Amino acid sequence: MKIVAITACPTGIAHTYMAAARLEKVAKNFGHEIKVETQGAMGIENKLTEADIRQAQIAIFAVDIEVEGRDRFNGVKVIQVPLQEALKNPENIFSKIQR
Amino acid sequence: MEFAFSCPLSSGLHARPASLLAETANQFSAECSLTNLRNGLVGNAKSVLGIIAADVRYQDHCVLEVSGVDGHAALSALQRCVDQTLPTCDVGLAESPASRNNVTVPRVLQSAHATCISGVVISRGIAQGKVAFLRRIRLSAHDKSLPARDPQYELTRVKEAVIAVRQRIGEKLKYAITPVGAAVLQADLAIAGDILLVEKLAQQISQGKSAAQAVVETGEFFIDLLGHSENDYIRQRAADIEEICAQLLEEIGELHSSETMALTEPTILVAESLAPQQLLDLDRRWLQAIVLENAATTSHAAILARSLGIPTLAGARNTRVALPAGREVIVDANRGFVVAQLSSSVRRFYDREQETLRRRMARSSRDGTKRATTKDGRAIEIAANVSSADEATLAFENGADGIGLFRTEMVFLSREQAPSEEEQFAIYSEVARRSCGRPVIIRTFDIGGDKKVPYLNLPREENPFLGYRGSRIYDEHQDLLLTQLRAILRASVSGPIQIMAPMVTSAEEVAQFKAAVAQAKGSLALSGIDFSGDIKIGMMIEVPSAAFMLHELCRELDFFSLGTNDLCQYFFAADRGNAKVSSLFHVRHPAFLRFLDQIVRQIHQGKRWVGLCGEMAADPQNLPLLLGLGLDEISVPASEVRYLQQAIPRWDSDRCEQILNGALACGDAEEVARLLSELWNTGSPQPLLTSELIVLGSASETKEEVIQEMIDAFYVCGRTEDRHALEEALWAREAMGSTELGHGFAIPHCKTDAVTANSICVLRLREPIHWDSEHRERVNMVVLLAVRNADPANMHMQVFSSLARKLINDDFRQHLMKIDTAGEVTAYLARQLDIPLHPEDSAIAERPAQSRTL
Repeated sequence: MKIVAITACPTGIAHTYMAAARLEKVAKNFGHEIKVETQGAMGIENKLTEADIRQAQIAIFAVDIEVEGRDRFNGVKVIQVPLQEALKNPENIFSKIQR
Repeated sequence: MEFAFSCPLSSGLHARPASLLAETANQFSAECSLTNLRNGLVGNAKSVLGIIAADVRYQDHCVLEVSGVDGHAALSALQRCVDQTLPTCDVGLAESPASRNNVTVPRVLQSAHATCISGVVISRGIAQGKVAFLRRIRLSAHDKSLPARDPQYELTRVKEAVIAVRQRIGEKLKYAITPVGAAVLQADLAIAGDILLVEKLAQQISQGKSAAQAVVETGEFFIDLLGHSENDYIRQRAADIEEICAQLLEEIGELHSSETMALTEPTILVAESLAPQQLLDLDRRWLQAIVLENAATTSHAAILARSLGIPTLAGARNTRVALPAGREVIVDANRGFVVAQLSSSVRRFYDREQETLRRRMARSSRDGTKRATTKDGRAIEIAANVSSADEATLAFENGADGIGLFRTEMVFLSREQAPSEEEQFAIYSEVARRSCGRPVIIRTFDIGGDKKVPYLNLPREENPFLGYRGSRIYDEHQDLLLTQLRAILRASVSGPIQIMAPMVTSAEEVAQFKAAVAQAKGSLALSGIDFSGDIKIGMMIEVPSAAFMLHELCRELDFFSLGTNDLCQYFFAADRGNAKVSSLFHVRHPAFLRFLDQIVRQIHQGKRWVGLCGEMAADPQNLPLLLGLGLDEISVPASEVRYLQQAIPRWDSDRCEQILNGALACGDAEEVARLLSELWNTGSPQPLLTSELIVLGSASETKEEVIQEMIDAFYVCGRTEDRHALEEALWAREAMGSTELGHGFAIPHCKTDAVTANSICVLRLREPIHWDSEHRERVNMVVLLAVRNADPANMHMQVFSSLARKLINDDFRQHLMKIDTAGEVTAYLARQLDIPLHPEDSAIAERPAQSRTL
């Protein structure tokens, strides 16, 4: 499955990047292809392109703040979870997707 | 006739409602008495003190009894007062809690539920001791034995004093700004005219006491009566009575504040206010700290306390009510509060704090003691303001480049007769010897104002600060001046001493001063006594008129020193000791800064040297302004010397000039303050990693202690000057959600300019602790990330995001758990994060483990 994701937290210096790393790692274990955009203190990194979003079957927002450029995801199925969820139980997110 | 009621006021019948009740009762000739049924106490309802002494608290059942010809009318008037006036008389009078909100109580103390009473820091330091109160109404031994004259005469004196004090309070009442202030004055007014007080005074005099003795004994009687109440408000009235009696004594002309208070154990002195003489009389061996209720922060006693290095707080309201005498407390005059109860966690916190301060001191003295220069190489002298040879020694130990101000009045105060030439010569030459060639500016005595000496018999003045003081008294006291000048001149053989005149208003005064120096030289030469012939002569700039005569003064003198405390109060016409107008006294006001700028320019045009020795130099926030002014020297209390020397290399002199110009263009003091606070944190980039921020084997037991310990590590190595702001930033992030990561890791983090550099701090616990209540797992490894807001957005952020990603990695975490030494931790992190290691750390990496036991 092709997945896109966004991680963002209030200070944007730690959890944003840790959650991104977790999602990337666990997605691989589940056999998914994932691209994670981080919206942190350095601004947007690893930005999702229009093509990335079009090709994805699902988008995961693991965020504790408002996502920048939410309108890019019009017409895409989005699951939004608190960032802690991506950090602590990323497996849950992916099993939910599979169901 | 009587009626019963229950007290409707939650704070009881304190002075204000009592004064309303008494006022009503006094309109009638009937006798009125109040009985408190709870305790059986009966008071005269025509007397505020009588009512207060009945100790009526919320919902106490009371009976008001009235008897006399107009009893009916009195009863209904009192009933109306109780039913209608009393219930609402406290509305809107609640003290604003603002002063308590900005208290910087660390989380460790908050979580220990320690009661902290806040105050303004006058002199920094931490001290522990037992509370003792300085009584303002005391009679000297002399007055005790002084016999009373004719009772009629004494009674008249007392009555006149009462009238004068009431008049004075009435005057103040006219100008009271806040309802709270007015209510307090109203109550004071009622107490000062209280029939019980007046009766008691008359009774004492009829027993053969003098007016002053009567006031003291009456005051002590009521203070004793009210001081034992369990009600805070009523105990507070004891302080009011003390104040009123002090004013009465002052009016009678017998206020002797100089009676010595004997200290026998480590003591925290609590007082409304303090005269310099009272402070000097206290036994320094036992005096640990001073807590003043009065809010004025620049009184001479405050300056003296700072120069003596006695931790001091001011504006600590209601301390005398909240703290019983004899209670063991800690005064934290670094953060600005008194800790009222010492639990084991409070003691533990302060044990650690002392250790932190010791390590910080040790580290900063390691940094060397060369003359401070700005980033672009401009040198500036950092000198010290002192009052004694001991203080001068301390200043030189702290690396001072000289003594910018030796206040000699302390040599003159606190004694029965003037110091002899020999005595002064001994003191001045000792300082000169200890200076090892560094300049010492000795200011001739500045007596008058609030600094009084008995042997000069200076007249009492309405307005001493605008009166007979400083060089103005030299003409009349030529002998005293000549003696001092001879002593200074003789001492100048031992070192580069310079002479400075205080409170100079005009060029004529300078001419007279120089003539006196010439005369002193002449008399020494005549006797064949050695002195330095080319001694430099300068003056303080404290009086604005002098600033408009600089062209002439530069021709006459060698140097100038800006005494900004007095200069500022004369400039704004605002008494710096008066809390009511002290907000007008603002050294950072653009009007004052423009004035200073003009003065420094003119002195430099006249090719003369100019320093600054006022309090404003001790505030690090002002440093860029002072550097921008282009001063030749800054003189501060001995304890501040080192800090300034370290701060100066961070600044560029051109940049400081721009900052000053920005401040000169501001519209008010607040705008200047904003401008400065934005600037202050621009330190030089430091490496992200340092082994000074790696703590292994921590003994902390709570999350609060862990965070405090990590903040302390920042503080020790100079990466934060504001531990409170750093702590608040970290806790603000904690409030948004757990920073616990699992696997025994937590990563508190924040973006704040309270750190002087982006930093990674690592702490490993000896015993794991709970981080958040909702997580069952314990934490034993804490990685703290602190990022500056003011830095360019991307600085170090790659490293932070890569560290964050690594923390997800099991191997990385496990490795961090196992490393033995701080040096190895930094080396490992540097390798993993691909950042260069600081050269100092490469060396430290070789040293053994930095585990500490606390």
